Amino acid sequence: MVGKSVLVVDDEPIVRESIRDWLEDAGYQVAIAESGEEALEMIEKQDFSVMVLDIRLPGKTGIAVLKEVKGQRPWIKSIIITAYPSAETTSEARKLGAIDYLIKPVVPDDLERLIRETLDSVGREPTVTTEVVIRPKPRVIEAVEVKKDFVMPKENMRTIVESLAKEMEVVGVKSKYGKYVYDRISSFEELCLDYDVTVMPPTKYLLPAKETLLKFQAGDGSKVEPVIEAIPRAIVGVHPYDIKAIELLDEAFMSTNPDPNYIARRQKTIIIGVDCLNPSPKSFAPSMGTNLTETGFDLLLTDIGTDYMVTVGSKKGAELATKHAHLREPTGDDIAKQKAAREEALAKYKLSLDVSKERLPKLLEENYEDSYWESRSATCLSCGSCVMVCPTCFCFDVQDEVALNLKEGERSRYWDGCVLVDFAKVATGENFRHDKASRFRHRIFRKGKYILERYGKVGCVGCGRCATACLADIASPLEAFNAIVESAEAKEAAMRIVREVRAETELYAPRPAELVMVSELTPREKVFEFRFKDGKSLGQRPGQFVEVSVTGIGEAPISVSSSPTKDGTFQLAIRNVGNVTGALHALKKGAIVGIRGPFGNGFPLGALEGKDLLLIAGGIGLFPLRSLVQYVLDKRSSFGKVILLFGARSPAERLFLDELAAWSKNPDIEFHETVDRGDESWKGNVGVITTLIPKVDIDSKKTMTVVVGPPIMYRFVIGELKKKDLADENIIVSLERRMKCGVGKCGHCQINGVYVCQDGPVFTLAQLRNLREAV
Amino acid sequence: MKPKVAFFDFTSCEGCQLDALNLTAEELISLLNAVDIVNFREVMTERADNYDIAFVEGSITRESEIPRLQNIRDRAKVVVALGACACIGGVNCLKNHLPVDAALRIVYGKDARYYDTIPARPIDALIKVDYYVRGCPPITAELLKVVKALLLGKKPEIPNYPVCTECKMAGNICVFERGMTCLGPVIRAGCGAICVTSGRHCWGCRGLVDDPNLDSEKDILQKYGLTVEKVVEKFKIYNTYAEVTK
Amino acid sequence: MTKLNINVHHVTRVEGHGNIVLNATDGKIEKVLWEVIESPRLFEAMLCGRYYEDVPHIASRICGICSIAHSTASIQAIEAAFGIQPSEQTLLLRKLLYNAELIESHVLHALFLVAPDFLGVGSVFPLVETHKEVVVMALRLKKLSYSLAELLAGRKTHPLSCVVGGFAKLPKIDELKAIRTRLEDALADLDVTVELFKTLSIPNFSRETEYIALKDDKEYAFISGHIASTDAGITPVAKYLEVTNEFCVPHSTAKYTKNKRDSYMVGALARFNLNHDQLLPRARRTAEELGLSAPCHKPFMITVAQVVEAVHAVEDSLRLIDQILDWGLEEEDNAVKVQAGRGIGAVEAPRGILFHDYTFDKNGILTKANCIIPTNQNHNNVQKDMEAIVPLMLDQPEDIIRHTLEMLVRAYDPCISCSAH
Repeated sequence: MVGKSVLVVDDEPIVRESIRDWLEDAGYQVAIAESGEEALEMIEKQDFSVMVLDIRLPGKTGIAVLKEVKGQRPWIKSIIITAYPSAETTSEARKLGAIDYLIKPVVPDDLERLIRETLDSVGREPTVTTEVVIRPKPRVIEAVEVKKDFVMPKENMRTIVESLAKEMEVVGVKSKYGKYVYDRISSFEELCLDYDVTVMPPTKYLLPAKETLLKFQAGDGSKVEPVIEAIPRAIVGVHPYDIKAIELLDEAFMSTNPDPNYIARRQKTIIIGVDCLNPSPKSFAPSMGTNLTETGFDLLLTDIGTDYMVTVGSKKGAELATKHAHLREPTGDDIAKQKAAREEALAKYKLSLDVSKERLPKLLEENYEDSYWESRSATCLSCGSCVMVCPTCFCFDVQDEVALNLKEGERSRYWDGCVLVDFAKVATGENFRHDKASRFRHRIFRKGKYILERYGKVGCVGCGRCATACLADIASPLEAFNAIVESAEAKEAAMRIVREVRAETELYAPRPAELVMVSELTPREKVFEFRFKDGKSLGQRPGQFVEVSVTGIGEAPISVSSSPTKDGTFQLAIRNVGNVTGALHALKKGAIVGIRGPFGNGFPLGALEGKDLLLIAGGIGLFPLRSLVQYVLDKRSSFGKVILLFGARSPAERLFLDELAAWSKNPDIEFHETVDRGDESWKGNVGVITTLIPKVDIDSKKTMTVVVGPPIMYRFVIGELKKKDLADENIIVSLERRMKCGVGKCGHCQINGVYVCQDGPVFTLAQLRNLREAV
Repeated sequence: MKPKVAFFDFTSCEGCQLDALNLTAEELISLLNAVDIVNFREVMTERADNYDIAFVEGSITRESEIPRLQNIRDRAKVVVALGACACIGGVNCLKNHLPVDAALRIVYGKDARYYDTIPARPIDALIKVDYYVRGCPPITAELLKVVKALLLGKKPEIPNYPVCTECKMAGNICVFERGMTCLGPVIRAGCGAICVTSGRHCWGCRGLVDDPNLDSEKDILQKYGLTVEKVVEKFKIYNTYAEVTK
Repeated sequence: MTKLNINVHHVTRVEGHGNIVLNATDGKIEKVLWEVIESPRLFEAMLCGRYYEDVPHIASRICGICSIAHSTASIQAIEAAFGIQPSEQTLLLRKLLYNAELIESHVLHALFLVAPDFLGVGSVFPLVETHKEVVVMALRLKKLSYSLAELLAGRKTHPLSCVVGGFAKLPKIDELKAIRTRLEDALADLDVTVELFKTLSIPNFSRETEYIALKDDKEYAFISGHIASTDAGITPVAKYLEVTNEFCVPHSTAKYTKNKRDSYMVGALARFNLNHDQLLPRARRTAEELGLSAPCHKPFMITVAQVVEAVHAVEDSLRLIDQILDWGLEEEDNAVKVQAGRGIGAVEAPRGILFHDYTFDKNGILTKANCIIPTNQNHNNVQKDMEAIVPLMLDQPEDIIRHTLEMLVRAYDPCISCSAH
């Protein structure tokens, strides 16, 4: 039976046999071929519904096979599999009618689902060709996601908008007080598709100013429910620079740590774009490569007089256009009109970058210390206008709110921005970006360098909104970029195509853990031992941290103080400094908290194995370092000589007294301790921790040093360590920043271009040399 | 044991206390389940000298008010300044620009001798204040937020960024682009930029952010058409006491 | 020798700070005093030197309950000084906004401040247990008033959108339609209030005095009209000083007024006495049901008159909304041309007639202000009432005398902070 028959073509036996097995289990009839030639022979003799085809075949290539199959049996749906996706081959494959592609190793579920969806659409279609033939009766266009252009009379937009309005919310560009804004459209006449720029970008529909993430029953971490609210919505009139911004948000929210809330909204959003033919006088989109776009939309319209040129960008777009519009092929004249319209628009831009955008990252890097940052930001009000109106800004804050009955509550996220004063402030009061100049510089570097390097997409789309919104007239990144004179080569990160992603709905929802033991270390520090309610282990590496939730109060990042070699439970040592830590300190045994994580990179155990270790802890730096110490002691034979140094401010502030005593007696390690100032009963060393370093004897070639302590300690300790001839790669530190989400989204923990929660908190000194904000 | 809450007022229009009762029936019932209101002269006859949390509205404009205020501080564990008059002095401070006698004479003429007044001041000029609920009038939701935070034992999360941030979140067109001027860039948010959303501009009733860039704001106001005197007059209405005008 | 010493420090359940002092020995009254000790804020001095645009904003802060009344009076005074005539649309919206405040103020007073006395409790809070339905209904009416004010002016306490010349932002038609439904439901809620008031035994004490209020030819006056007096007939607003005659007394930071007699009364009862035939039908029926008929000289019936006016305000609001929905709303240009001049705005605040009298220089800067607040005009009447009622009660227990005097003060719904401005 043709209906469920699949041909699998791959030269690797294990691939084609395992795929055959999966598909047969799923009820399909499967044939296999080991080469393109064999596949074509089989297709000549029998029909199939679907072909799963490896692009790289010996002999006849996958592309060649596709071409020939298209000629013989064009109704066969092809799914490409490849270990090496590249933009050229995949787009060529699509042009030849391939439905989709999967990257090897193929996940059986993905393949099975793709085939099922493909077959579901098979039965309803007549025999297709890849060209659209205009018929009086509208039909589904076969060539999905092909970048095909059609011409449509302008009145058809009315039909499209009005039909969309029957099924979903339609928002679009309308006028307000002489400016333009995105808002609900109640009638087609309200749309102003020839606008220059809107005050606020359309990204507010994907990441709203306030969004609830969780609902909870306060105080009891186990009743937590993720909240994902998204309604189907069409956004009409999106300019290319905003489309590019949305592509950036897609990358940031959908690839690493997929964000369930963003994904739900994104997948229910239809984007109908329009070419910008009347640019704002403050826009410099062409310089940023964002005045035109070939991707990121369902439909894109160019005004060519009485008609629109419509570029179909997706299957959804194709359905919309064919169902509601009279499409025809563009004539040479139409194409010329589109070209002319775009050129005319290009000529209208008043502002441009003085260098090519590819050179920006290096340019900025080399001018990090330039006096421009200080002088330009003197009039900055830290008012937040620039970040609020920016389409590529997406940092957010997270807060808990409870009802008056103190029983129910919600955890929500709100727009935030790195230019606001308290963005990088932690509970102890330290602010890692406390002056205007560093905040101003960070924003410009974000737009010109960090975003590009991190996500491979342009960080500033040149819309000009911030230049208009800034009352002090200092916000335009163009002015900043142009003001920096040097030029350099920039590299562009590979473009990643982001598609259907399976999101983890529990990304922000904590798991319940029970407090099984709590004991006091000092009057303001306690150690807490937790066990997950479901009995699972935390599975942390030493040096990682978790986010601890007391619902209603908030969430705080805490390093894990115990080693994973201790089974079943994990320990957190916590100092009482703020709202959440204060609430934790009030808990009794048996209480339930929420835990997310573990997050962060942890100490590089591989690099430490086999080496001598010098471990230095200053004050509560012992909290994270203890996890490593316990690990090393449990696997003592994997390491060489181990020296542990601990410094506390005074005898009363010493921590984990029993363990300190045990370590000092342990013949397997060399342990030294000091206090900054002693008291009457103290008989040990007195002096800051740096005084211990000259006393220890190490072989700098074989020793790895790990230092954890308060920020002020690092500079001095590193100075002493360098005197011992230790290389930068062999000195390892753990840094603290304000962390909220733990998954590299909310932006608060940034140090220059890295996110501490993802790329840290553990860094080598070599890495820190490139992170100027770090120490 | 429910915490005991008391409301007091000094020199004020009593609007802050009135808005504190702008609750739905469910909210009032939840509130009364969570706290005991033991003193609230505007709506209750019973009085109590024993209370945990005192909400104080109004600024201090007479000598006789001072011992009463200190008494409240002595008795309460937590004092919350409610409204612009208590937090930053409010409009009451406008009269501070005149000598005390001159002001009395303008109002009472030859009978001024019967009455006394001193330059108006916020309550933290005299006593330590634990929390602030700002605004003229404050947003009822922010008052409830402070109550809930006190009940939960945490510090309430009040913004330290300017109104501009919330104005953009609300989707407003900037006042400066509409031919008016505004103090928003140096005034603390938390009000949702309600005045701009209603078609006006920000007068600064919530007081300055912790570290306002006043020079920049003054330059901007002048750039948009106000003279130095008019700029100073704008700030005076609520922020006289913050010595902005000096 | 029986000594009677009553000293109520800071009467409760009134707006502002006032004391009641009564000393009597052996039935002979030595002192009966209504003492207004509210700290004066000196608005009339503070407004001097302010630009006209800021004046209504500041004047609104005279009172938290009747801020809309002050704003409106202030705006009308400025419009009079600058020769600006507001449009019909603006007047409709202003009247509707006015009603919102009136409803809230009267409901607050009747149910939260006065009713507890008649129900034997100290405040509305115990009523949550015993008369839950009434409390829910009262809060619902309050919320409705707030919503209506927010719809029109952005905020009820210290309104925002009402400006000199019109409105800075117009309400949305579908929101007006939605609130119209809530207003219709409010009529049923007010019925519950009326039923409650029927069960209360209002003291019969009566003392005739002069009653003064605005009177308009076309409707029950709130924001327009001439000054009317039961003793003196009609006086144009421009000559208000001839009626008010403010004077100071040492024991009150608020000034007093008098006209044809030692004192006069303003407020809901005064308005009822002068304009009762202009009440809308349902309000008129409510007055009958509650046994209120003109002329009424019983101060304790002020609250009843307020309940009647609340019904009138809801009826009137429905009428106004229907008219707005019929006409539609149009954006108007509120540009203002300043000029030197003097203008007087007179409105009927919930508690009585209110005057704002301003003089401006050619740059629109205020040079002189005079505000006469309704409660100013009532203070002396309260004093005279007390002097009259005490002799009638001297044989009662001290508690009853004290309570009755407190209730007498409360009946007037005094806005003491306002009066001391």
